[in-house]
Amino acid sequence: MSVYIQSAAQISIQEPLTEKWFAEPHIPAGNFNLSIEPDYKSFIPPAESRRMGRLLKRAVTTSKEALRKGGCEMPDAIISGTGLGCIENTEKFLNAMLDNGEECMPPTAFMQSTHNTISSQVALTLKCHGYNSTYSQQGFSFDSALLDAFMQFELGKIGTALVEGHDEMTPDYYNMLGKIGYWRKETADTEKLRKSKGVGSISGSSSVSILLSDKLNDNTLCEIKNIVTLHSPNKSEIWNVVSRLLAKAGVAMSDIDAVVVGLSGDAENDSVYESVMSQCFTDKPVVWYKHLFGESFCASAFGMYVAATILNNRFIPKHLLYKSDKGINNVKNLIVYNHFHNKNHSITLLQSIK
Amino acid sequence: MEQLIEELKQEIINALNLEDMTLADIDENAPLFGEGLCLDSIDALELIVLMDKKYGIKLKTAAEGKEIFKSVKVMAEYIASHRTK
Amino acid sequence: MAEIVITGLGIISALGSGIEVTVGRLLSEKSAVEKIKHLQTVHCDLPAGEVPYSDTQLREMLNIAPDYNITRTSLMGQVALKEAMSQAKLSDKQNFTVALVAGNTVGGMEKSEQYYHHFLNDEEYKEYIGLHDCGACTEMIAQGTPFNFDLVTTISTACSSAANSVFFGADMLKTGRADIVVAGGTECLSKFHLNGFNTLMILDSEVCKPFDKNRRGLNLGEGAAFLVMETAESARRRNVVPICKLSGYANRCDAFHQTASSPEGEGAFLAMEGALADAALQPADIDYINAHGTGTPNNDESEGHAMMRVFGDRIPPVSSTKAFTGHTTSASGAIEAVISILSLTRGFIPANLNFSEKIDSLNFMPVTKTMQGVNLRHVLTNSFGFGGNDSSCIFSKIEQQ
Repeated sequence: MSVYIQSAAQISIQEPLTEKWFAEPHIPAGNFNLSIEPDYKSFIPPAESRRMGRLLKRAVTTSKEALRKGGCEMPDAIISGTGLGCIENTEKFLNAMLDNGEECMPPTAFMQSTHNTISSQVALTLKCHGYNSTYSQQGFSFDSALLDAFMQFELGKIGTALVEGHDEMTPDYYNMLGKIGYWRKETADTEKLRKSKGVGSISGSSSVSILLSDKLNDNTLCEIKNIVTLHSPNKSEIWNVVSRLLAKAGVAMSDIDAVVVGLSGDAENDSVYESVMSQCFTDKPVVWYKHLFGESFCASAFGMYVAATILNNRFIPKHLLYKSDKGINNVKNLIVYNHFHNKNHSITLLQSIK
Repeated sequence: MEQLIEELKQEIINALNLEDMTLADIDENAPLFGEGLCLDSIDALELIVLMDKKYGIKLKTAAEGKEIFKSVKVMAEYIASHRTK
Repeated sequence: MAEIVITGLGIISALGSGIEVTVGRLLSEKSAVEKIKHLQTVHCDLPAGEVPYSDTQLREMLNIAPDYNITRTSLMGQVALKEAMSQAKLSDKQNFTVALVAGNTVGGMEKSEQYYHHFLNDEEYKEYIGLHDCGACTEMIAQGTPFNFDLVTTISTACSSAANSVFFGADMLKTGRADIVVAGGTECLSKFHLNGFNTLMILDSEVCKPFDKNRRGLNLGEGAAFLVMETAESARRRNVVPICKLSGYANRCDAFHQTASSPEGEGAFLAMEGALADAALQPADIDYINAHGTGTPNNDESEGHAMMRVFGDRIPPVSSTKAFTGHTTSASGAIEAVISILSLTRGFIPANLNFSEKIDSLNFMPVTKTMQGVNLRHVLTNSFGFGGNDSSCIFSKIEQQ
C-alpha cells in the first residue's frame, strides 16, 4: 500500500491558489492577518454561493482546485480538520441570540455553524456519496483527518481522498484568543518570531485541500510513507516512535534532509520543538512555515503542504529555513512534526518520488 | 400595494442573499418555490424570520409559510392585512 | 482482520446515569422528555431530555472542586467514561496503547453563551475561552482519568459524531495503531443548540412521535456515552469478558441538501448497505434496528424509505428511542449504540413511544410495546447528521463456545 499526495490548493494570507509563496513569499506585516480571497465567482455559481459563508466558499474552491490539479473527478472520501468551523456564522447566530432575546434568529447562520458543514458542502457540490468526516481537535484537527485517511488507505477502503484543513479568524475571536495568550502583544515580524521568544504568535486564516491517492500519476507531488501520533509523550517515547517509523519505512536517520515543524515564536510552543529537535533530530535543518501562513488551529495542514511542495521541487528555499543562509538542494526525505500544547503530537514521513 | 411589493422584493434579495438579482428580475406573480426563484426549505425559514422581524407577523409552522409564500404578490397581500409593525 | 469486541459501556442521559438505570427506564416505557427545567431560556415551554443532575451534582459525583473550570459537556463525558472504563477494568495503563475518541458539536457553548459578553469586554471567565472549542471538551474528559491516553481526538459530524468516533476507533484497532480505544460522544443542552433547532422549525412542542404519521418534530436531549473497544485478542490477554462484537460499520454522505435528507434516503441506504457488507451479513440477519428516528417529518420518512430499499418487505423490528431520551445530537450515536448493545445482550427491544398511525408511504410500523425474552443475534443502529453525514453500524452477539 502506498499513499501519494497528488496535489494541493491553498487560500491563506499568501497569494491564493498559487505556489508563488515558494519563490516570492509575502511577509505578514501585522499580527491579525486575513486571507487573500480569490474571485469565487469563477469557481462557484451565484445560486450556489449565496448560502455559503466565506469559509465554505474557500473550502469548495480549494477542493475543486486540488481535484483539478490532481486529475481526479470524484474522491472516495472527504475528510476535514477544523478547530473552530465557520466561526463567523457561529458568532452571527450567537450575537443574534443574545441581542434579540432568542427571537428572530437567522437559520442559515445556525446551519453553517456546525463544523461538518465544510466537508458536507464539498460533498454536496461534488455530489460525492463516499466517506465524509470532520475532526475538531484544536491544533491536531488536520493531523486527525490525515490519520483517518491514511488508515482507510491501509485497510483498502479508499483509493483517493480529499484531506483538508480549514479555519477562519474573526476580529472578536482574535481578541478572545488574545486574552489567553495566543497572539503577540507587540507587532511581530519574522525576525521577532525567530529571535525573541515571547507569549503568542501571529494569526493566520487558512484553507488547504490536499488530494491523496494510492496510485502515482504525472502530477504526484510526493509519497506519505507513514504517520504516527502520540499524546503527552516523554522524550524517550518520541525517540522510540521516530526510530520505529524510520525502520519500518527503510529510511535511515542520515537520509532525512530536514524536519518541518510548527515553530511559531511562542516560547512554550517552540521549546517543545527545540527539545525534540535536539533529542531526535540533532543538526537536521529546520523548516518552519507559520511565519508565512500564521498560527491557526489548522496551521499544521500548511506543514504538510509546504513539505509536499518542497519535495516536488526537491529544494528548500532559504526563506523557509529557520537557521540558514542558503537553500538546500536534492531533498529526498522530510519529517513533518507537529504538536499542540505538548498534548497530541504527530510525526509524518514524506518522500520524494523523483 | 405597489410600494410594499417593491419593498418586499428588496427585503427578499437581502434576506436570501440573491446577490445578482435586481427588483426587475423578480416577477411578483411568479412562484417563489419549485420554479421561478427556485427557493428551498431553508429560504422558507429565512422568509419566516423576515415576516417576524420586519412586519411583526409570527408564523407557527413552516407549513403555514407554504401558503403565504406562493408569490411576492400573495406575500404582500398577507403582510398588508396582518402586519403589526 | 482483527475481531473488534466491546468490553465496557458507560451512559448518562435524561434517563439517568448508568446502564442499569437506563435499562430499567427503557423497560418501564416511561419517557424522560419533560418541560425544560435547568436550561435558562425563554423557550422553557419546549420539552427536552435534560440529564437530571445539575452541574453541582455532577461535580459531586466526580469529586471535582467547585472552582475547577469545566463545561457541562465534559462533566457528563467524564461520568460516562468512568463507568465504561470501570466495566472494562481499565484502571491503569500498563503497556497498552489506548486512544480516546469523542464526538461533540458545540463544545463549550453552554458556558460561552453565558459568558460571551465577558469574553468580549473584560477579563472575567476568560479561562472558559480556551474551553469553548470541541477539542478542548474532549481534552477535559481525558483529564478526568489518571490515564495518559496515547491519542485524544474529536469528531464533529453533527448528530452522527459519536458513531463516527466508534468507526475511527475500530480502524485504529484494525491497523494496529491502538490496543484499546474508548469511543463515544457527549453534548449538553445549550441555548445555542435549542434556538438553532428552533429556527429550523423542527422542534415538537410535545414529546416527539417517531415514525408516526402526525409527527411534528424532535425534542433535544443531552447526555454522553462511551464504549470501550479492543481486539478479541486484547480482551483475552487482559482477561476481560467481551460484551459483544462490532461486526460492521459504514459512513456515507447523502450529498443532497445542506440540512434536509433526500426523499429516497440515499445516504442512509448506502450507510446501511455498507455496514452489512462490512459485516458480511445479509439483511435477513438483522434482528433489530435502533433507528435514528428523530420524529421530524423529513428524517423519518427518508430513513423509512432507505430501510425499505435495504430490507424490502421483510423489515426487522424497528424502534427509535428518542422519545425516551430526546435527541442527544452528538452523543446520540453512542447513547443508542449502548442501548442497542443492551438490547442485544439482554434480549429486549425497547418500545417506540407515542406511535399511533403508520406513515402512508412506508410499509412498516415500529415496535410499540417492549418485547422481552427475544433472541437477537445482530442489531443495526443508525445515526444521521445534518449535511447528510449518515452512519450505520452493526453489533453482534458473541456465540458461546
